[in-house]
Order: sequence, then C-alpha cells, then structure tokens
Amino acid sequence: MQQQLAQLVATAQAESKSVTNRAEMEAFKARVVGPNGSLTAAMKGMATLSKEERPIVGKLINEAKKSVEEILAALLTKIEDAEIGSALGTPLDPTLTGNETPAGFIHPLSRTREKILNTFKKLGFTIAEGPEIETEWHCFDALNTPADHPARDMQDTLYLPKSFRSVDAPRRGEEALVLRTHTSSVQIRTLLNRKPPFRIVAPGRCFRRDAVDATHSANFHQIEGLWIDHQVTLADLRGILDFFVKETFGADAEIRLRPSYFPFTEPSFEMDLRSPNLGRLSNRWIEIMGCGLVDPKVLELCGLNPNEYSGLAFGLGLERITMLVHGIDDIRHFYNNDLRFLRQFA
Amino acid sequence: MKASFQALGRHVDLSGVTPEKLSEVLPMLGLEVESIHSFGLAPLPLVVVGEIQASEKHPQADRLSVCQVDVGDGTIRQIVCGAKNFKVGDRVPVALPGTIMPSGFEIKVSKLREVESQGMMCSSEELGLGKGEDGLLILTAQKPAIGTPLNKLYGKPDSVLEISVTPNRGDCLGYRGLAREAAAALGLTLKPINVKTAAGLSTSASAKDAFKFVRSENSFCPYYTARTLRNVKVGPSPDWLRRDLEAVGLRPINNVVDITNWVMLELGQPLHAFDAAKVKEGIEVRAAKAGEELTLLDGKKLSLDATSWVIADAQRPLVLAGVMGGVDSGVSATTKDIILESAWFVPGEVRRIARRAGISTDSSYRFTRDVDPAGVELASRLATDLLIELAGAEVVGPAVSTGKPPRADVKIELPAGFVATKCGTPITDADVVNALQKLGFTVEKSKEGFSVTVPSFRSDVTRPIDLVEEFIRIYGTHQIPAGRPIAPLPGDEDTRSSVFTREVASRLVGAGFSECCHYTLRDVSEIERTVGAEHAKLLALENPLTTDQSHVRASLVPGLVGALSRNVAVNADPRGFFEVGVVFRPQADGAVREFLSVAFAAPAEALVRSWKVPASFDIIKAKRFLQDIAQLAGVAVPRLSFTDAKSALWQSEHAANLSDRGRSAEGACGVVELRWTRSMGLKGSIIAGEVMFPRSSFADVQRIPRFEAFSSFPPVTRDVAVIVPVATSASEVLTRVQQAASKAAGKEFDLEYVNCFDVFNGPGLPEGSKSLAFEIRWRHNDRTLTDEETNRALSAVIAALEKGAGWVIRK
Repeated sequence: MQQQLAQLVATAQAESKSVTNRAEMEAFKARVVGPNGSLTAAMKGMATLSKEERPIVGKLINEAKKSVEEILAALLTKIEDAEIGSALGTPLDPTLTGNETPAGFIHPLSRTREKILNTFKKLGFTIAEGPEIETEWHCFDALNTPADHPARDMQDTLYLPKSFRSVDAPRRGEEALVLRTHTSSVQIRTLLNRKPPFRIVAPGRCFRRDAVDATHSANFHQIEGLWIDHQVTLADLRGILDFFVKETFGADAEIRLRPSYFPFTEPSFEMDLRSPNLGRLSNRWIEIMGCGLVDPKVLELCGLNPNEYSGLAFGLGLERITMLVHGIDDIRHFYNNDLRFLRQFA
Repeated sequence: MKASFQALGRHVDLSGVTPEKLSEVLPMLGLEVESIHSFGLAPLPLVVVGEIQASEKHPQADRLSVCQVDVGDGTIRQIVCGAKNFKVGDRVPVALPGTIMPSGFEIKVSKLREVESQGMMCSSEELGLGKGEDGLLILTAQKPAIGTPLNKLYGKPDSVLEISVTPNRGDCLGYRGLAREAAAALGLTLKPINVKTAAGLSTSASAKDAFKFVRSENSFCPYYTARTLRNVKVGPSPDWLRRDLEAVGLRPINNVVDITNWVMLELGQPLHAFDAAKVKEGIEVRAAKAGEELTLLDGKKLSLDATSWVIADAQRPLVLAGVMGGVDSGVSATTKDIILESAWFVPGEVRRIARRAGISTDSSYRFTRDVDPAGVELASRLATDLLIELAGAEVVGPAVSTGKPPRADVKIELPAGFVATKCGTPITDADVVNALQKLGFTVEKSKEGFSVTVPSFRSDVTRPIDLVEEFIRIYGTHQIPAGRPIAPLPGDEDTRSSVFTREVASRLVGAGFSECCHYTLRDVSEIERTVGAEHAKLLALENPLTTDQSHVRASLVPGLVGALSRNVAVNADPRGFFEVGVVFRPQADGAVREFLSVAFAAPAEALVRSWKVPASFDIIKAKRFLQDIAQLAGVAVPRLSFTDAKSALWQSEHAANLSDRGRSAEGACGVVELRWTRSMGLKGSIIAGEVMFPRSSFADVQRIPRFEAFSSFPPVTRDVAVIVPVATSASEVLTRVQQAASKAAGKEFDLEYVNCFDVFNGPGLPEGSKSLAFEIRWRHNDRTLTDEETNRALSAVIAALEKGAGWVIRK
C-alpha cells in the first residue's frame, strides 16, 4: 500500500510537469482528486481495511493527499504566472522612451511675475488689477498729469477712437480712451474703491506707441506697487525696495535712489541697482524702476485727505527685470515664443 | 539738452571739476547725463600744418596720389593720399608718425601699394571735428604757418553733456539753471551776470520805436516785451559764438538769429527777432482767425483757426506764438531794424499749439516747461548788449511791455519736523536750512517752522512736499536708512482672477502645454477672421503706429497658431501651447468688453515620430479642458453648453461654441480653419480651445464649500439605448434621459449619474438614425435599492423616452 501511494504521488508529480494551461490543469486535477481520481480510489480502499491497518494506512493516505495538494498548488501558481506573462506581453526594456508629452514650460515673464508678487506678498501686499483699456482720466489726469502737461510727452500713447465704448472703463466725461501706458492707473482704481490702509501690487500689460526693437516693445508688462497708510515715509520706501532687490537679485545687490520726476509722486526717484552677478552688466548702476511718495494731489483727486494719509508707490518693468535676472539681450524673445527660448527657464 | 562744459563754466567756476565728475553729480540731483562727447580738436601734438609741394599719380593705384609735403622741419615728406580735393600749394593738417588719431588708429611709416608714406594728411572727420567737406581739411585760406601744431589753430576741446531734463525742470534748459544746480551740489558760488543795457520797461511805444503799439490782452500771454534796435549790421557771428552754438548742435545763421539762440541757451528764455520793415504798425498777441495762413521759417504752411495763438501785426499773423517764426517777417541779410521779442506764454497752450501743428522747437520746448517770468526782461537786455557789440545796433529806448510777470517768488510755510516725518528718519533743522539755502531759497524762522521763499525760476516748487524733494536732492538719498518693512495684519486677499491666472497656468503646464506671450496689437485680417469684418471695426485703434498693429486682439488662438507655425519652421518640435491674457470682444450694444482669456492649441497628431501609436488630441479632449478651466474659474460646469461654431477662425462642422447660461464664460474649441493653418505651414489639423471670462465673473467672493454627507449603500446601475434621428444632438438626448431618470427616482432615492457610453450608427438601425446608449446610476441614502424598485424606475424612464420624446428604445 505504501508503495502504491508513493507511486501515485510520483506519477502525479511527473504528469503535472507536462500541464501547461488551465484546461489541462482541470483534467489533471480530475484524474487525481476527482470522483474517479487515483487518490480518491485509494481513499475509497480504506473501507476494506482492518481496524488495525486503518490508522497506519490512513496516515499514509493523508501524507499522500498533502503531497498531491502541494503539487496542485504549485501547478496553479505556474499556470497563473504563465497567464499573467502572456497578458502583459513582451518584458520591459527600462531604457526605452516613447513620445509621451512632457510637462510644458511656464513663460519666463510669468515665472518672474509670480516670484516678484510672492516677494511683495511677504510684505503684506496683495494683488489688484485694472482694465487694459483705460480712460484718460485714470491714466493721466487723476495721476496729476492734466492735458497739455509736458509730462504727457514722456510717453507716446495709443488712443481708441471717439466712438469706442468700454464696458470695463466707462468714460467719466468726454475724455478719450487709451491703451494704458502704465499700471499706475490701477493706483487710481484702488484709491477710489478701497479704504486705506492697504498695500497692493498690480501686475499688468501696458502699451506705448513705440517701434519694436531689442529694447522696445509695443506692449510690455509692469508691476505697480502702492502702499497707503498714516505716515508712510521714504525710509519705508527704501526698506521695501531693498527687500525686493535682495530677494530678486541676491543679498549682494545694492540700490540707490536717484532723484527724478513723475507727476504722481513727490519726491520721485529712479531706483538704480548694482550687483556683481549680472554678467556684462555687473558692478554698475542700472536703472530698474520709478518710485516715490504718492503726490498729495493724487490723494486729493481720489478723495483722500493728504494730511491724514500718505503713501508710497513704485512701478517696475517685468521684461527689464526678467532680462537682467536671466541675461536675456533682446525683448523680442519674450514675444516670439520659440521653444528653444522658453525651455531654458523651466 | 546738450550742455557745453566750457559754457557752463561762465556761470560757475568749474576749474576744479572734470566733466566726468560733473556727470556723476548731476544724476543724483535728478539731471540724468545720458552721454558725454568731446567737441573740438583733441590734443594732437604730432598733427601740424603742412604744405603740399608736389603731387603725382600713384604708379600702381589710380585712386591714390603721392605727394611731397613740407611740414617745416627741413625735410620734405612723401605721403600717399586718397583724397582729391587739394591742389599743389594747399596747406593741410598732417599727422606725423606716432600720432594716435581720435579713432585710436596709430600713424606709422608704411608702404601703400609699394610706395612709402611718411604720415597722413587728414580730413575733418579723421581729426574728430565732425563731418566737414569730402576729402582733406584745407587750411589754405587761414594762412597758417607751415609746421604750426594744429592745436594752436583750434581752441581747447570742450565736453558736451547730453542731459535728460525732466518736464518739471524748465529752469534747467539753460546754462544758468544747470549752473545753479551744479553750484548747489558742489558747494560753489554762482558767478554774477553782467548786463550793460539798463533795466526798466516802458508801457507805451515812443515815436522812435519801429512799432506803434504792443498789445496782448488775453490769458495766453499775460506778459510781453518788445524792443527796437536800429541800424543792425546782419552778418556772420564771431567764432566764439558760432562755436558755442555748434557745440550743442545748433547751426549758426547770422549774428542776430545766433544771438537770440545764444541767449536762449544761456538763460533758457526763447527770444524772437522780427525784421521791423516787415511789421505793419504794431505787434499783437491774439488768437488766429479762421482762414488765416502762415508759412513758417522751415517752409511749413499752416492753415490757422481760432484755437491757435499767433503774434501778428496790424494785418496778418507773423509767428506761431512760442513755437516758430514766419518766413516773411524773419531777419535776413537785408534787415536794418529789428524788433526783439521776449515774452511769457501759458505753457499748456504752447504745448497744445505745437502738438497741433506737429512741431517741436527749442523755443516751444522751453515755453511748455514754464520759463521764468523774472528772466524775460533780463534775456532781452543780455541780447541787446550783444546786438550792440556784435551787430553795431543802436538802441531806441527801453523795451515796451504789456501786462506783467504772471508769477513771482513763492513763500511756503514749512511746518517744523515735516521733512523728518516724510523721510522717516531724524533730520536737523540746520540740515534743512542748509540744503534749501544752497538752492538759492531764502529760509526764515516762523511760528510753525520755517518760511521758505522760492525764486520764480522754480515754478515746480509750491508746497511743503516739494521742499522735501528739494531737501533730499541736496542732502542725498544715501542718508535715508532702510526702514523695517513690517507687514500688516492679514485681511486682504488677492483678486480671484490673479489666483486663477496662476492656477490655470500650472494646470495646463501639467497637461503638457507651454506658455506663450503674444502682442495684444494685431493686424486687421486676424481680427476679421476672429470676429468678422463688422466687429473688427470696433476694435481698431485711433493712431496705430504700424498697419500690422492696428487692432486690439479678440482671441489668443491666432497667436498660438503662429507660435506653432514658427516653431515647426525652426524644427523646435512644438507639442502644445497656451496663453492666458486679456482679449477684447464687441458686445451686442457695440460696447467692447475685456475678457480674461485662456487658450490652448496643439497639433491633432503629434509631430514627433514614435515607435508607439500616439493618442491623438481631439475636440472631445479640448472640450474637457475647457470645462475644467471654466470650473477652475468658478463657473458651474452643468451650466455650460456647446453648439456648432460659426466663425472663420474655426473649421465648420468640426468646432463647437461654448456658452454659459450665467454669462460668466464663453468660448470655442475644435479644429482651427484648415486652409489657414495649412497656409501657415502646419500640415495636419490644429486643435484649439479658448474660454473667456468677463471681469465680473471674478467679482463674487468665492463660496467656501460646505460638507454634504453621502450614502454608504451600494448603487444600482441600468443601461438604456435610445434610437434617435442622426441630427438630434447628444446633449438633447442626455438631458431627456437625465430628466426622466431623475423623475423616476422621485423623492425616494437619488439619481447619481447618467453616462453616454456608446454611440452607434451602423447596420441594423433604421436609415438616418443613430443609437446612443446610457448608463443610469441610482442610489438610496439609507438602504440598498431592490431589483423591483429599480426595474420600475427603468420602466418609467423608457416610457418617458418613448411616449414623451417619441424615440425608440433599443431592446
């Protein structure tokens, strides 16, 4: 009997080797443990045995059964492996690449804009916006630049026809509509709509009637800053700008405030930057933004009492800063959108 | 303005100051120095006068000649020369070997085409004297001795500073004003101006005057002076005067005109000289009359009307006031008597007149920047001195004036501590007084602080805050410390649109699109393609600079297609592009609205070849992007609907318009018109999408979502297939199924979702119809739904679709 059972297990072991799929496995399983299977037959034989023989043979049969179950389990694993393998197909070559779309690139102007806005956010400045087509009043008059003021010659303006009506910038009177020449118009919209104190930065697109060349563009971007509160001082202005420059150009960048003129600030300054890390432009003063204390006349025109409130304002050119930070030599690159340019700043 | 360093030295002693030093000082006062260049002959000790004694043709070069030149040292030098404008016997500048020319080129003994040349004969340009006549600088007429160093014939070289004067500083448009600034910054004293002609004005013309009256009874010219000078000898100006004009780029004309220009440079006050013989009876400042004409000195003919101001005689306009004189009444070689005008005009009016005429002159430039009324008479007197001295003029009497100076010195009360408060740092009274006094202001103690008298030449200083600026300019901005930029307490938020701009960009970058930035100003054809010819007219500029930048953009898509095209052309393998920016769209009432737009574009089939079959980019994907972008902007996606796009920008039947019931978004997506994209060198289809948000859609404060509990029981799902005519839109069928399925659920349980999972229009269906299959999912909040109630609900849906809509249900 013992020999017979060993033979049975050995046969099952041998036969299992030739089983290659699930159907064959089921047939094989039936031949061994099915109702007419060989192991089943051996178990049925138990009934004919004597009381003394039964425990001994029973033990032998149990061992054989356990062996058969192990054979079947191993067979199942083998068949499943084969099935998974054929479902997955050819093994992976981990070095192969396809034509999957990689992540795109943020435009360098957007990247710089976000960095600058974040810098000012740290100082409590939040973002404000205004329309690109503005009334002359918001763009000039309210900024203390009345018609026929020579400061209007400082920039050449693009006008919209008299018939043009803007939903976003309704005329107050008979004034013309313009493509805003600076984001300073957002100063006015903010002063009219919000109660001080506040600190805002206004990023946006501006326009000048300029021929396009390496340093001029028919449209460009500015970020305007305005802080209105009781007793805002020149020391505040210097502190803010110092922080901005160090965040943007590194700790060894320095600034100087050079007296200048804007109709809407008094005193007015150009802020110059000097840094050892600007390539060909290193270690010399470079003009990067206009700034100053808000002219009391502007506060008055917007209905604020200049004896109660004061403020500081600044406006920087986004293209200019981005060109300095990355050493870009031609403003037109920003508007050509050649991927060989764009991918350098990802 | 251009300023000669030597001329500036007439007003302040600059002997210890170099032009370079001055160009470091002026910018910190607010006077930006844009450049410095030298004027006149630089020190060139080895350039001497030589005489050409013989000249013959170069044996090997037709264009060259070989000259024998005597430079006075006993040896005759052979010099090869390319110029043609000389004859034997001419005296010319000769650069001897060892000379470093202004260009940096060193003169050596050398061979030119095999012939030795022992120096170089020079042209005006080669010597750095500016462009003269072609060829050599011929000195023969001046009869200089042979061997004389050329520097002896010319004065010391000068430096000319190109200074950018801001519009508020009209006082710095003359040497006197610049000198005041330099003196204040350098701690120097201003030299006095010596004028011989006596001060004093008469209120009416005398019999000896060349005019009978001077009238100016209007707001434009509150102060006018005129003076008669007789027996003027018009001729060329002396060298020193010509030099002063040429140094700053002015062309000498004759002594009278040159003197008026010279005084303008000196004091910033423009003057005008009339030929008295051409002036009928008198001088009047008045508005022009409609129909009057005036031909200006530069030949430009103006048709005038009542909005222009002129200087006229009894009969006709002579001068466009403050801008330019007329050709008829100007000083010429035959002029004998002149009338010298010095006046003050309202600055804004001069600007208006000049702009209207399209002219800007040295005169109008200064008048628009508010000349000093106190300098009007001084300028007239200074010019009179020179006319007597240089043109032999005889003065008839005092100048005749009408009106009076419109401005005088201004007294400003400066409260104690005001300057320190604005600076945000301690400043002593002594510092303030010292700085203001340096500028020529008078400072007196007063009850509240200081009483500061500002001279009339500084019309820009009228308020205490202006004095702060004056103080800072002299005190130095470097003395202002950086304050601590302490942030306020929270409370403010960024605008929602700015947050959206940032978020949508990172979303699209993640989806493989690269961000672009294109010009707002576009050409008319692009705008017409986007919004049609009628609407394009509404987006035109009044004064475009170029025809390709004549309109504001109505869509970002054309820019992106352009970027794809350019990148394909340079083999940069573009995949997808997007842009976020403002576009302009005419509304039904003709007004134009600004939209914040987001657009993307990519080739339907990837341009890069691959061993893998790539997934194509199609309109369904584009639609999905649009919905996602709209949702990010806070627009409820179920409110969005899509219809066929009808625009020349899009390929008909392969593009969809997007609209929003809440009017907070609109847009389109699909295949960009194929003929156009092909014409731009793009072979396959370009799929694009654009969604635009009016500013108002970002106006509401964003709702903070509130949590809603959801069922923990499993849902049940049933399918239903509907056969409908081909023309019926999917969204219509979907809406019907949704309505029916929702109604079938009633109040008992919830419709969770309806999904179109199959679209079929093959064999087995009636002609002209299609089958759409939907999966309906219901769920109960408190228990598992039974088969029975689910089937009942499905039957209700089928009944609604068959009976209500008249559609066949595929069984």
